[in-house]
Amino acid sequence: MIAQPVIAIEGVTVRFGTTDALRDVTLHVKAGEFCALVGPSGSGKSTLMRLVNRLVVPSAGQVRVRGQDVATLPAPALRRSIGYAMQSVGLFPHRTVAENIGTVPRLLGWDAPRIARRVEELLALLRLDPAMGVRLPRALSGGQAQRVGIARALAADPDILLMDEPFGAVDPITRRELRAETRRIHAETGKTILLVTHDPEEALELASHVVVLRDGRIEADGAPADLVAPDAAPFVRELLGGGQPGLRWLSLLPARGALDPRPAPVGAAMLARNASLADALSVLAESGDEALGMEGEKGSVRAEGILGARR
Amino acid sequence: MILALIAIAALLLPLPFLGVAPNRLLPGEGVSALDAAGFWVAVPVVLLALGAWRRLPGWAGAAAAALGVVAVLGLAGAAANDRLADLAPAARASFGAGFWVAIVAGLSLVAMRGAWMGLAVAVGAAVLWAMGGLDRLSLVVEATARADALQSAIWTHLALAGAALALALLVAVPLAWAGFRRPRLGAVMGAALSGVQVVPAIALFALLIPLLAALLRAVPALRDLGLGAVGWLPAVLATAAYLALPLWRSLSGGLASADPAAVQAAEAMGMTEGRILAEVRLPLALPVFAGGLRVAVVQAIGLVTLGGLVGAGGLGAVVFEGLSQFATDLMLLGALPILLLALAADTLARAAENRLARPA
Ligand SMILES: Nc1ncnc2c1ncn2[C@@H]1O[C@H](COP(=O)(O)OP(=O)(O)OP(=O)(O)O)[C@@H](O)[C@H]1O
Ligand SMILES: [Mg+2]
Repeated sequence: MIAQPVIAIEGVTVRFGTTDALRDVTLHVKAGEFCALVGPSGSGKSTLMRLVNRLVVPSAGQVRVRGQDVATLPAPALRRSIGYAMQSVGLFPHRTVAENIGTVPRLLGWDAPRIARRVEELLALLRLDPAMGVRLPRALSGGQAQRVGIARALAADPDILLMDEPFGAVDPITRRELRAETRRIHAETGKTILLVTHDPEEALELASHVVVLRDGRIEADGAPADLVAPDAAPFVRELLGGGQPGLRWLSLLPARGALDPRPAPVGAAMLARNASLADALSVLAESGDEALGMEGEKGSVRAEGILGARR
Repeated sequence: MILALIAIAALLLPLPFLGVAPNRLLPGEGVSALDAAGFWVAVPVVLLALGAWRRLPGWAGAAAAALGVVAVLGLAGAAANDRLADLAPAARASFGAGFWVAIVAGLSLVAMRGAWMGLAVAVGAAVLWAMGGLDRLSLVVEATARADALQSAIWTHLALAGAALALALLVAVPLAWAGFRRPRLGAVMGAALSGVQVVPAIALFALLIPLLAALLRAVPALRDLGLGAVGWLPAVLATAAYLALPLWRSLSGGLASADPAAVQAAEAMGMTEGRILAEVRLPLALPVFAGGLRVAVVQAIGLVTLGGLVGAGGLGAVVFEGLSQFATDLMLLGALPILLLALAADTLARAAENRLARPA
């Protein structure tokens, strides 16, 4: 049996007036996949995401979610079953933080104590002060508002989560924490996550599946390492490479793949088992050694092995 | 400061403070405040001066000014009691220009330093009245003589204003919703409702009578429902036509003012259109709508006055009766309650609006 993609976008074109926001886009996202959408501003990332909960209706083509054509599903029920953290956040200005977070559970008819417990859990998960629950959104900083937006998307524990630039307004430290938190949520719950981001590092680090959009078309679609590999399309390498696509590529390849049967010299620096080739290169550069060892492995990692990744 | 000076000047200069006449139809003879009250004039003068004194905190200044206004009124009442004591019961004492200038300037001073002290003025006036201090003033004589008619006029007035407001809401709410959903339709409505405002109110009231008469002739069954071409119907219809614009405009503005991101979020969370309206659009529209509602309430109380011309009764009828008889006191008897009702409605609505503007 072939696993059904949980999100299937088949030959979709979206036209707004005279401009095509998406042109003949086909994308399959499997259950439990973490899929990142990247691309320049206006390339259609948000539009593609909004097809999934039917906030955007295709001009041509079909969108299936959990195997069902979304055009045949009642929109409110579909949307309640999908978490959505919006690019513009869009908290309800007249409702408290707790009420905002509890929106979908309330629509689903949960009882008040259950909603209150869930809100408390989510505030803790997103590292928001529990006392913040009674505040109105205008009393939040931009980063806090974004985190409340993510909590609201997670509230009813949806199996599909859409996140449109969810970490845009938070400081780098919190951003890293939230990134780690998102990775943890994904690992623990097995949710299918669709994430729009302008940060290529974030996309490559978090996602198991990266989709590059350009002018409404899918330019590339695959595993992170393949998209920055030397044979990938120049536009994609440039977008994702951060000026040093070679190094970024190495950072996505495991050092274990370059193990050499020769043993490491006595006293050589040791690499962790999950180290990347970029990590290995960094340690080599620092230590000045010729070869490095790896925990739990007999062989060694050598400069020529790292640089031979291409072969 | 300047207000207090004006009030004090009105009390000290030889302006007619009170007019004393042998009966209500003959013109009176002017008496200045100094002549009427002697050195007692010093009481309101000092209080009003204190009211304007910058060193005093706002509440104290407002309180002094309020007491000053009450003292002016008390002075007029006492002078009337005194001057009319040896005259026939038909003799009248009415307010003169000096009184009005002092009262208006004094009230403005109160409003400036602490408007809520207006309440103290009302209480003070009520106490003076209850103690008989104002009994011989023509306005009070007139009010006592017509107490029942006046009371029923006030209720009629409020009922007419309430009915017009309800009717205007009944029209404006669906129109605002339709215009919100179809902006082009909304533009047409805006133009039509603004067009009504261009018609002078008196003309609209008068115009409705022949129109309604024609309608009733065409559909006599309407008469059986108690509808008539004169009376409450044209008054309510015409007033409602004017109120529709502020109500419609504030509703439309409120609906349009909702943050589009919040509305989109509501949609994305899986709210139905009805829920989005009830949970997001209306609550966000409320503060804007409250402003329009306040304007409409105050306008309703004022406009319904013209109902007096088309047989609808209410305080307008009292005012126009006074006008036709050149009876100033009768005019005032109708006009003062209208003013007070409008002020009270405005104050209450403003307080409600402020509460809405900053929830929880
Ligand atoms: N509701 C709409 N009406 C008209 N045009 C739209 C609408 N939504 C999007 N567009 C247009 O479609 C194109 C794609 O927009 P989209 O929001 O998907 O871009 P994006 O990749 O998310 O950009 P960004 O990174 O700036 O958020 C843009 O040219 C945009 O102007
Ligand atoms: Mg976008």
